Amino acid sequence: MHPVRRPPLDGEDSVNDGRPGLYRRMHPVHESAGADPARPQVFRARGLTKVYGSGEAEVHALAGVDLELHAGELIVLLGPSGSGKTTLLNQLGGLDGPTAGELWYRDIDLTHADEAALTHYRRDSVGFIFQFYNLIPSLTARENVALITEIARDPMTPEAALDMVGLSPRIDHFPAQLSGGEQQRVAIARAIAKRPEVLLCDEPTGALDVRTGIVVLEAIERVNRELGTLTVIITHNAVMADMADRVIHFSDGRVQRIHANARRARPDSLHW
Amino acid sequence: MLAQLDRKLWRDLSRMKGQALAVALVMACGLAMLIMARSLIYSLESTSDAYYRAHRFAEVFAQLKRAPLGLLDRVRAIPGVALVQGGLSVQVTLDIPGLDEPASGNVRSLPEDGEPELNRLFLRRGQWFRPGGKREVLVSEAFAEANRLEPGDSIALLLNGRRQTFRIAGIVLSPEFIFESRPGAALPDNRSYGIFWLPYEELAHAFDLYGAFNSLALTLAADASERAVIAALDSLLEPYGGRGAHGRADHPSHIRVRDEIGVLRTLSVAFPVVFLSVAAFMVNAVLARLLNLQREQIAILKAFGFGNRQIVAHYLKFALVMVAAGTVFGAVGGNLLGRQLVVMYRMWFRFPDLHFIPDRSAFVLALAVSAFAAVAGVFSAVRRAAQLPPAEAMRPEPPARYRPAVLERTGIARFLSHSFRIAVRNLERRPMQALFTVAGLALATGIMIVPNCFRDSVAVVLGFQWDVTQRQDISVGLIEPQDRRARDAFAHLPGVQTVEPFRNAVARLRFGHRSRQIALQGLTRTGDHTRIIAPGTREIAPPEHGVVLSQKLAEVLGARIGDRLRIEVLEGRRLSADVPLVGVADDMAGLNAYLSLTALNRLLGEGDLVSGASFTVDPDRRTDFLRALKTVPRVGWVAIKESLRQNFEQTTAASINLIQTIYLTFATVVAFGVVYNNARISLAERSRELATLRVIGFSQREVAAVLVTELVILALLAVPCGLLLGTGFATAIVTQVNTETVRLPLVLTAHNYAFAVLVVAIASTISGFLVLRRLNQLNLVSALRAPE
Repeated sequence: MHPVRRPPLDGEDSVNDGRPGLYRRMHPVHESAGADPARPQVFRARGLTKVYGSGEAEVHALAGVDLELHAGELIVLLGPSGSGKTTLLNQLGGLDGPTAGELWYRDIDLTHADEAALTHYRRDSVGFIFQFYNLIPSLTARENVALITEIARDPMTPEAALDMVGLSPRIDHFPAQLSGGEQQRVAIARAIAKRPEVLLCDEPTGALDVRTGIVVLEAIERVNRELGTLTVIITHNAVMADMADRVIHFSDGRVQRIHANARRARPDSLHW
Repeated sequence: MLAQLDRKLWRDLSRMKGQALAVALVMACGLAMLIMARSLIYSLESTSDAYYRAHRFAEVFAQLKRAPLGLLDRVRAIPGVALVQGGLSVQVTLDIPGLDEPASGNVRSLPEDGEPELNRLFLRRGQWFRPGGKREVLVSEAFAEANRLEPGDSIALLLNGRRQTFRIAGIVLSPEFIFESRPGAALPDNRSYGIFWLPYEELAHAFDLYGAFNSLALTLAADASERAVIAALDSLLEPYGGRGAHGRADHPSHIRVRDEIGVLRTLSVAFPVVFLSVAAFMVNAVLARLLNLQREQIAILKAFGFGNRQIVAHYLKFALVMVAAGTVFGAVGGNLLGRQLVVMYRMWFRFPDLHFIPDRSAFVLALAVSAFAAVAGVFSAVRRAAQLPPAEAMRPEPPARYRPAVLERTGIARFLSHSFRIAVRNLERRPMQALFTVAGLALATGIMIVPNCFRDSVAVVLGFQWDVTQRQDISVGLIEPQDRRARDAFAHLPGVQTVEPFRNAVARLRFGHRSRQIALQGLTRTGDHTRIIAPGTREIAPPEHGVVLSQKLAEVLGARIGDRLRIEVLEGRRLSADVPLVGVADDMAGLNAYLSLTALNRLLGEGDLVSGASFTVDPDRRTDFLRALKTVPRVGWVAIKESLRQNFEQTTAASINLIQTIYLTFATVVAFGVVYNNARISLAERSRELATLRVIGFSQREVAAVLVTELVILALLAVPCGLLLGTGFATAIVTQVNTETVRLPLVLTAHNYAFAVLVVAIASTISGFLVLRRLNQLNLVSALRAPE
């Protein structure tokens, strides 16, 4: 029903799926530099602040973040643990609201969205990939993906999504019958099956060995490349910075600096 | 060190207080029942023992036609007899101001000089007879209360046909009438039947019985044989119209008290066992979950050198805290219930002072039994956890293994939604937890069925008794059998539509070595009032040759249709005859033996006599009829169907309502508790899974649907089990009521089943809703973090 999108050729518009501008402008592969103003803006944060606790126990997890993310970018958010990067990801994913500042997803004000609006936002626009996969243990790989395709607006088939991450042969296995890398690839298939505009990955390789981690990163990179999904990967593993269009260095709840790679490294060239 | 561990215990407990409370409450239901039943047994037994002792309740009782008082010395001479009390006991009707219908009662004599030797009265209000005072009467409390009579009021007694007015001196109680009802009646009718006491001389003169007695009570010497004394007494009294002596075991009031204690004994075992089993399962589920969550903590404790024994003790303490809480709630609940039931018992049983006396040993037993149940429920889980090597315990539990549910392998998988699939597979992976929840819900459904089955069965008995077999409005009995003229007098009462005479006679029925003393009923063959219904709703006419017995009586005698029975009449000319058993009646109250009026009169050899008549009366002229009846001489008793019905509403129905309220409370607590427990555990164990669903775009409602589906599947499984279980409970309890007084048919209606299911469904829904509200608090962010 929903064939996997053909990788667009240079200069060619992606399939028009009724979401103007979203997949139109595909960027030339391995070529992006700094934030490309020509790409449509997806997220815009201004003075984004998140404070946990109060009084002496007050923790500024986000201390005024200004940021713009664009369609089709592959972003690596790099920082030590406790730097606030997960807090930022939660804000982007609509899981938590800020204490101050503003956060826009296109023309939606996420800062003031209510619970129902956030649920819709997550359902239609965001794909999540977690460090510990978070598959539903009682559902097979296919069913885990189908769970999402049933509620999504314009999904691909579970089979197509699993094929994209190379898991067709294991499609009817339960999570307990899959290795960690396979489980993470099911999680990726689950995240992309609804063709989200944004893919948020929280330490996707954190629980995996290097070889398996690279297989997972390849799957994420392929999705970003072929579907043009804005992809944000959180990691404390600096090696992964090489595969990004832009690397955001994060510490003490602030963006310390952003640098653009002249050329994205292939995941299989990474070593850690 | 241990003090710190105990601090951990309290903090952990306060985090899981909802579940601990649910377990404690289910446990409390069983313990409340245990404590209530045992305390009531203790209260009834100790109160009646003390009452019997203090007021010298006799051990052997006899009725006779008349014998000279001098015969009492020969009774005293029977070996094994201790104390003897002879006196008079006669049936009378009376005229109560403000009561349309004539009331009837039993008047007994009291010695002129001092208290009687046996069966002494307790003076509730007013005074004893004044020395030399005339026209004074003592009235039983139940009758006085029902008719709002006070000392100083007047009542008119028809003594041997003469109307005499008496002043009520005092309101009294008697150990012979703790349960006060018309002889042979299953239900008390305190408004129209009472017990009265007059000085011997006054009563004897009125009935031409001076110098004689017709009622006898005695106590036995320490090592006497009751059977031998009764045999000697029977042969001594036979020439004087003795109707056969009996012991306490056949004493109508004593039987009712003893039967009630028997019911309580059943309750004190059966219900606690069931409730505590469910509670044990719940403790197991709660602790198994806690142990899973605390695997690492257990490992750390062991790494620091805590022994297995200390760890087992620590986790057993969780169970014991719940047990302690359950015992406290159970004790409070048992006390409250017991006090309520004592109020109900006071309506049925007249003791000088019936109080709820908590049975202290019941509390200890409750604590011991529930502690045993809880420890048995968790011991293996706790021991397994304690024996885990620290290194292994330190690792998180391996991921749960699932497989397609049995249901899906049948090929209907493609019709199932994902939430249904998740639910079914979860249930199959945790069959024990599912089983216990189903068992709890089934139990709740089952216990709801019992009181309604009881109510429906009683309604069927009464409907059968009052609408099918006894279709008269009013029955009237004469003091002595009379000839045709009485029949004519009855026919001329105002408002009479139909009148049917009957003849009763006390007789002993013998078959082989078994015998029963009953009243033979002679009915007109063309009659339509008292009908004899054979099994299969076929009506039988009163036989001209032979006798028809209640099925129960045939059973008691071991006789079958065609067998020849020996009838020994115990009054009049005391003739005997062998008659065939020609049919059995499917009646539900009393032991009855029917034959035709003419056949009975032939058997008695006294001519064409009647003992009374039954009437249907024009409803508009009912008051006239009753007023006129008050003036008819020699009427011994009057039974009015309508007032029996009203009386039933006030007593039996009220008691069943109380019992139903108790069962309803228990069913609600159990349904609420098990659903709460199950949902909380599901929510806790799978918070990560559920939060993940929320994060990837499921709404709260959709996530709730996963848990609700599980609960609904469990509830749907529980309903048929519960109905089956309830049918079993009801069958066990209702068919127990198969006594010579009353036999309850098993009546199970769709309405009863529907009500049980409704109550459990509502309790479960509210409980489930309370837990699902917690989905609001589900921490979405935590789903992204490492599993705990």
